[in-house]
Amino acid sequence: MSKLLTVRDLVVEVPARNIKILDGINFSLEAGQTLGLVGESGCGKSVTCYAVANMLPRGIVRSGGSVTFEPGGPSTRKPAVPKIAMIFQDPTSSLNPVHTIGYYLESALYRHQGLKGSDARMEAMRLLERVGIDRARSRLRAYPHQFSGGMNQRVMIAHALAAKPQLLIADEPTTALDVTMQAQILHLLEELKAETGMSLMIVSHDLGVIARLADRAAVMYCGKIVETASVAELLERPSHPYARALIDCMLSIDPDDLAPPVPIPGSVPLLDSLPEGCHFHPRCLRASGECSARFPAPANIGFAHEVSCYHPVAA
Amino acid sequence: MTAFILVRLVRAIAVLVFTVTLVFIVLRLSGDPAQQMLSDNAGPEALAAFNAKWGLDRSIPEQYLYYVANVLRGDFGVSFADGREVFTVVGERIPKTLIVTVSAFIVSMLIGIPAGILAAMRRESALDKGVMAGAVLGYSVPNFLLGLTFIFVFAVWLRVLPSSGSSTWNHAILPVATFALFNAAALARFMRSTLIDVLGQPYIAAARADGIPRWEIIFRHALPNAAIPMVTTLGFVAGGLLGGSALIEPVFAWPGLGSGFVNATNTGDLPVVQAMIVLFTVFMVAINLIVDVLYAVLNPKIRKH
Repeated sequence: MSKLLTVRDLVVEVPARNIKILDGINFSLEAGQTLGLVGESGCGKSVTCYAVANMLPRGIVRSGGSVTFEPGGPSTRKPAVPKIAMIFQDPTSSLNPVHTIGYYLESALYRHQGLKGSDARMEAMRLLERVGIDRARSRLRAYPHQFSGGMNQRVMIAHALAAKPQLLIADEPTTALDVTMQAQILHLLEELKAETGMSLMIVSHDLGVIARLADRAAVMYCGKIVETASVAELLERPSHPYARALIDCMLSIDPDDLAPPVPIPGSVPLLDSLPEGCHFHPRCLRASGECSARFPAPANIGFAHEVSCYHPVAA
Repeated sequence: MTAFILVRLVRAIAVLVFTVTLVFIVLRLSGDPAQQMLSDNAGPEALAAFNAKWGLDRSIPEQYLYYVANVLRGDFGVSFADGREVFTVVGERIPKTLIVTVSAFIVSMLIGIPAGILAAMRRESALDKGVMAGAVLGYSVPNFLLGLTFIFVFAVWLRVLPSSGSSTWNHAILPVATFALFNAAALARFMRSTLIDVLGQPYIAAARADGIPRWEIIFRHALPNAAIPMVTTLGFVAGGLLGGSALIEPVFAWPGLGSGFVNATNTGDLPVVQAMIVLFTVFMVAINLIVDVLYAVLNPKIRKH
């Protein structure tokens, strides 16, 4: 498989407040692969996506590292030529309330594929049908407020497909939806990924979503990746105490495993008052003196399995 | 859409009837017009004759019914002051006021809206700070004081523009400028904050993620949304211009409805005052109706219900 995206030592800061949101992020993504980013709110998952898509909000800057797309050298990509498409957490508010679904899709088809008039309309209908919206012809005249959240997320996905992306970034795509809709959207993403061969970066705080869709997962905490592994490896042999704790927090419906979820004590520290050393040590049961002295260098502990911890959990 | 407009129309008529009634009663209870119009040493016979001549000796409900019946026939009565038809007295002032208010409205939009858009697009820049400083200044200086300052600078000091009257187009410049600057300041501030609010919405971030060029995001995606609250503000501004004409027109001796209203109130010319209040109400109701309709045109959430 060929590499699509390589992120090296990515640092993202808020200069005005002298805060590092991302501090030395490394990962790569192969064509057709799915990477899941998992972690609690505020650990930098979404910012990683925005940095990769080169659309950080104002006041937040990439101050170090590189984001490289293959083929080609370091990314000079401007937002005007996307091979990247994004879908968001709250689909209804991510759609412009004054434009019809048809305008939204047809203008994207013109921008990305040069389609106009009835060609654009036919293709928009095909895309809507592809993402599971029936009566597509009349739906083109509808406005986002007339659709449910799940339908709007389908529209967002159809819109993303219009760009024929090589990489689809899904930032908490199912968090605002109910479970049945969540399952349908995840299924749709799986199908489309197989059909188009695009890569997928999916952000979620729900390990279940990551497990379902991703090939590899990166566990993030306070702007650093603390563990990366294949999803199967991560779920079976979580090595970082934080990854372990996240898995213990998952609710199980297995009748043989009714152990109550184990909450992680405390909460994510604020970025302007990060603890020294490993940022997780104040919440970690295994912490020792060296944990508060220096951040542990990532160590390879298995096939493509890296962890940054002085006291990894034994398998 | 037709039903929507019909409902608003019926509501507008109800507001009009209510206002006419309220104004009629309040004006009758607020003083004896005979004593205001005639000199202080007028005898009781003179007062009685005045009241009988204008029907003021009848009971208020009776007067009201007469008044409404006449108004429905288009007869607003005769001015106490000079005996001319109220319709003529008020009618000849309408174009004068419209010239000033409509020009001021257009000029304030031409200045305020682009200034607000630029300030929002270049947020925190020197341009933004300059526009906002100007807006705060324009907004906090009272209308009439600004007018007096203009008269002093351009008419008394520089002697380039006339200070009062309405005989040439030049006479309109100072009243229009006074009105327009004040309202441009209000519009610029509101346009800026509305656009900044819209630009922070998730659908704008999504549009950026899609690689849509900046100007297209502003004009196609942000402004159509910002226009919805903006229309409400424009309605307020238009209403404020009409109401403000009572403040500004006397400063420039501009013979429009505003100064006419002030004169008629001072002399107790009831039929004129009354007709003018009804006319102001009609204007306000019409503005609100236009705002409601524009709101429905601009906002699909309202249109589809």
